[in-house]
Amino acid sequence: MANTLRLYLTCIRNTLEAAMCLQNFPCQEVERHNKPEVELKTSPELLLNHVLICRNEAEKCLIETSINSLRISIKVKQADELENILTKKFLRFLSMRAEAFQVLRRKPVQGYDISFLITNYHCEDMQKNRLIDFIVQFMEARILKQICMKRSLNTRGRLVATEFLKQFI
Amino acid sequence: MACFQRASSTLKEILLNLLSAKRLREIDHQFYEFGSVQYRVQVFSSDPDYVLLSITTSLQSQGLPQANSIPYHALQGLYSNMVEVVQPPKEGYQLTLKIDITKMPQRKEDRIRVVTEICSVQAVLLSSQLKEMLWHLFSLDNFRMMFKPIKLVYHPREPFYVVRQPDKITVIFPMRFQDNSDVVIATTLFQELRYVGSSGSCTKAPPCSWSPIPPVELRGESFEDLSTNGGFVSFDIFSHHIENSKLDKTVWNLLNFYAFVKCHVKCTRGLIQRRMRKRMEILSEVLQKTGIARNELADRKAPRNNRCLRKMKSFSKSIILKRRCGFFARNIKIVHSQIKAHGLDRLRRRWTRVTRSIPN
Repeated sequence: MANTLRLYLTCIRNTLEAAMCLQNFPCQEVERHNKPEVELKTSPELLLNHVLICRNEAEKCLIETSINSLRISIKVKQADELENILTKKFLRFLSMRAEAFQVLRRKPVQGYDISFLITNYHCEDMQKNRLIDFIVQFMEARILKQICMKRSLNTRGRLVATEFLKQFI
Repeated sequence: MACFQRASSTLKEILLNLLSAKRLREIDHQFYEFGSVQYRVQVFSSDPDYVLLSITTSLQSQGLPQANSIPYHALQGLYSNMVEVVQPPKEGYQLTLKIDITKMPQRKEDRIRVVTEICSVQAVLLSSQLKEMLWHLFSLDNFRMMFKPIKLVYHPREPFYVVRQPDKITVIFPMRFQDNSDVVIATTLFQELRYVGSSGSCTKAPPCSWSPIPPVELRGESFEDLSTNGGFVSFDIFSHHIENSKLDKTVWNLLNFYAFVKCHVKCTRGLIQRRMRKRMEILSEVLQKTGIARNELADRKAPRNNRCLRKMKSFSKSIILKRRCGFFARNIKIVHSQIKAHGLDRLRRRWTRVTRSIPN
């Protein structure tokens, strides 16, 4: 599992490194406006081909690129009800505090659990490599912590159940 | 429905406040606990030595007629001669106790112990009714009553069923939750209960089972009672679970089951929230570092050999000027200093006179 995860993350990292060559580009429709083209999609010549990286059916990452912005959408694996609830809770928690993460999109793209929007301004303010590191680290932490959290909830449940049944003895 | 502590904390506080007061005034407190237990504490000015404590529980059971009655034999002997059961009880209450304050012990520790004992009256009432029921069901030879489930409602939203079977009694808890996440957390606990109960460590505990659909024993019950989102948890109580001292534990644990599950769900939600907050902080720190690192990198890229230039660059013009004229500024400060030297004043006056005379 660790190997497939590493390959998946390496592939995402390489794709991001190639895709994150953004530059300032004013809007072609509205004068003196500068908007992320990947969101507006008004000029097809400013959009690049999107890349879909799938680890399996339930886990995938969509990278959409344009001349001045980049959108990364992630779908996290939710094997059972517990994982589903944990993922939903965490992503909702993050999206409600999106101002703490400048690159986080409040509403994910349809069909995905979480989306990031990186513009050329972000690339100017932040270091490109570190930004890619953050995205990859976020995905890695999300996957590993979810497993960890699930385990800890099960362990906690077992301890509580044992304590309850011991009271009968 | 019960709570982990047998004694009601509110009632305990009221009674202790009453006892610590130098002179009892007329009071009439009425309050609910856990939504199902109602208390009334009264002191009359005509009879200030006595406190009247009335209590009622919303216990409704179907199937056993004697379960609704107050088990007075359970209350006898529990309290010393300072508490008396009033017959008939106050209107709207199941039980009224008359507490003689003059007979209360003088030592504070003893008094707290006695008050705690009196405050656990609801636990005694609830436990004794279920205890009696379990005894009655085990001694039941009437086969008509055998498989008919008895519905117990200690709390309006938390009914449970007791079903007599040939060699055991099954206690079934329909589980209902408001939130989907609560259902998932509780389901994890129920699965663990089932697993732990069947494993070697808790073989003496009553076997536990959980099913998302109503068990066969509840066939024929009303649809509202059987519609749950958390499934059904069943405990099989055998005769050795209600032997002597074990009966008390078994009954108290069964009464506390709902409270236990609720507490687990609440604590687990808190744990999830804490972890999420922590993780969010870590992630936002990582993101913040991306900006800072850039500045650091720019600093590092600056030429290192020209130290003097860097020093000059870091100071403002005014500071550099101040440093250059440091000696002169220090002398001015000495002249303007507030330290008074003997004869200096006269000297300064003469100096000023001289300077004024120059332009003339």
